[in-house]
Amino acid sequence: MLRTLLVIASWDLIKLKNQKVFIAMRWAWFTVQILVFARAISYIVSHSVTQYTGGVDYYHFYILGVYTTLLYSASIARGYMIADEFDDGIVEYHLALPVKRNILAVGRVIGSSISTIIFTFPMMIIVYMVLGVRDILAILVSLVSALVFSMGVVSFVIMIVFTVKSTDLTDIIVGAIDALLVRLSTVFYPLPVIMATGIAPYYIAALANPISHMADFLRILLFPEYYLVVQHGLWASLVYLIGFSMGLLILAIEYYEKKLEAGGWR
Amino acid sequence: MRSKAVEIKNFTKKFGGFTAVDNLTLDIYEGEIFGLLGPNGSGKTTTLLTIATVYKPSGGDIYVFGHSVTREDYEVRKLVGIAFQDPKAMWIDKPIDLLKWHARVVGYSGEEAKRVVREVMELLGLWEHRNKQFYQLSGGTRKKVELAKVLIQKPRVAILDEPTAQVDVLSKHALWDVIKKLRDEGTTVILATNDMFEAERVCERIGIIYKGRLRALGTISELKDSIPSGDVIEVQYEASSLPGELLRELEVYGKVKHESNRITIYVEKGEEKVVDIVDLFKKRGVRIKKIMVKEPTLDDVFTYITGAKLRGEE
Ligand SMILES: Nc1ncnc2c1ncn2[C@@H]1O[C@H](COP(=O)(O)OP(=O)(O)OP(=O)(O)O)[C@@H](O)[C@H]1O
Ligand SMILES: [Mg+2]
Repeated sequence: MLRTLLVIASWDLIKLKNQKVFIAMRWAWFTVQILVFARAISYIVSHSVTQYTGGVDYYHFYILGVYTTLLYSASIARGYMIADEFDDGIVEYHLALPVKRNILAVGRVIGSSISTIIFTFPMMIIVYMVLGVRDILAILVSLVSALVFSMGVVSFVIMIVFTVKSTDLTDIIVGAIDALLVRLSTVFYPLPVIMATGIAPYYIAALANPISHMADFLRILLFPEYYLVVQHGLWASLVYLIGFSMGLLILAIEYYEKKLEAGGWR
Repeated sequence: MRSKAVEIKNFTKKFGGFTAVDNLTLDIYEGEIFGLLGPNGSGKTTTLLTIATVYKPSGGDIYVFGHSVTREDYEVRKLVGIAFQDPKAMWIDKPIDLLKWHARVVGYSGEEAKRVVREVMELLGLWEHRNKQFYQLSGGTRKKVELAKVLIQKPRVAILDEPTAQVDVLSKHALWDVIKKLRDEGTTVILATNDMFEAERVCERIGIIYKGRLRALGTISELKDSIPSGDVIEVQYEASSLPGELLRELEVYGKVKHESNRITIYVEKGEEKVVDIVDLFKKRGVRIKKIMVKEPTLDDVFTYITGAKLRGEE
């Protein structure tokens, strides 16, 4: 059973090696973003914002946000790949394989999130180099948490893809969720700043947002002093992330077992 | 009595309000090559995909060696392998990667997988294409990659959805041998096809479906005998059109099929009727280019059954 799970998960990893050019371009773009644009933005805002970031340099705050956004969008991109596969009938092929549907579901989710981690790994290294992070344990913990987060996002997008069964509709729905979720989070604006706007729904959304928790988890993990400005601690974010991902994974498994049927792609 | 490999019981499949397969009941016996025939859109693929548990029945059930596709889908999938009508791959995939992955999913260890994949690829003439990307492969080659999956898997029941469509004549003969060999090694084969020649060459029993319903079932000779008129008279004529009176006169003899410059009449005792028919053509002033009396082919059976339905004669 474990063997089958690993073989299924390797489906996405095999695909990864056919996308070298695309991946290299994304890495290059990310590096530019971190080294040039992120510096420019932080220069503008750092003076007025440090009071909210608990003494953490806004540049550091910001690039951990950028990295989290990247994790999120790379996980979402796996969903698009699965939509493309649906289009080409790969889903029919997978459904016909001598594999239990729950193993198929977990295998695809794990495979997709491991691919995401591999894809984002060099970017993480760049970020940690810039931040001067050297604590191996912290790096390992951040990797595992990134994997957990990615599993949740992938489960979520897989369910959307299979429900709407349309490339265009997936684009629209995911695009809309994307725009809202990233904006209504703490990736770029610290929670106290959001609170200072006095807009309650904004604050609540940011607080309940898995992307916020992922970014804040990394910040507290790497800069404990940041803990002071986030009302919830490391453990709260961790529990939240695990709950979020496992909940969605279980839903995705249910979906594969009970409802998923090929055909009807638009 | 032979044991049943697949038992289709009152199977119905609806897509929204549209009924693609309507109350199909059909048994496929262990060790046979069963041909599923039917014009485009008749429900062949829908039926096959349901046996493979890719679709769920809207009504009825299908059993594979006694296991229900609705209640024991995993048990069914362990017994069934399928080569899809449209080859399943992304444009970027390489045959070797796809097939190795497939081999491992169906249970081979790493080393065994390598060996069996190479063996099957060489058998099908795919080895030289192993590292090409899918978009670089010809249509026929893609179909062979699809068939390779089933040959690697060696399932108890192999489902082949038009396995030789787009394949060249020479390769077709080779593939038919491969399919027969698969059967000889103990696999029950269900083969959907539009190619009557293929059906006659490889299938032992045949079911003809049309608009989602079973219209005929039996061995090839049973089917040929089932046409009410035992012979086929084929007339090729030299005129741009045919007088309507002549068509009506011909219909007295049996069912008539009319295509450009050719008329096929399904009759009893063809040798006796042929003289009368020549006279009728003379009387109407239509010159005959060629006239033949034939035993019906599977083609004729198929045309008789589905063609009659096309004209609304249920
Ligand atoms: N996923 C689907 N959604 C809606 N309608 C479908 C779907 N799949 C098949 N159909 C319809 O069901 C009918 C049967 O299709 P099917 O693919 O089973 O035919 P077929 O006999 O395999 O035809 P062909 O010889 O062209 O392969 C067709 O009218 C088709 O349009
Ligand atoms: Mg078909």
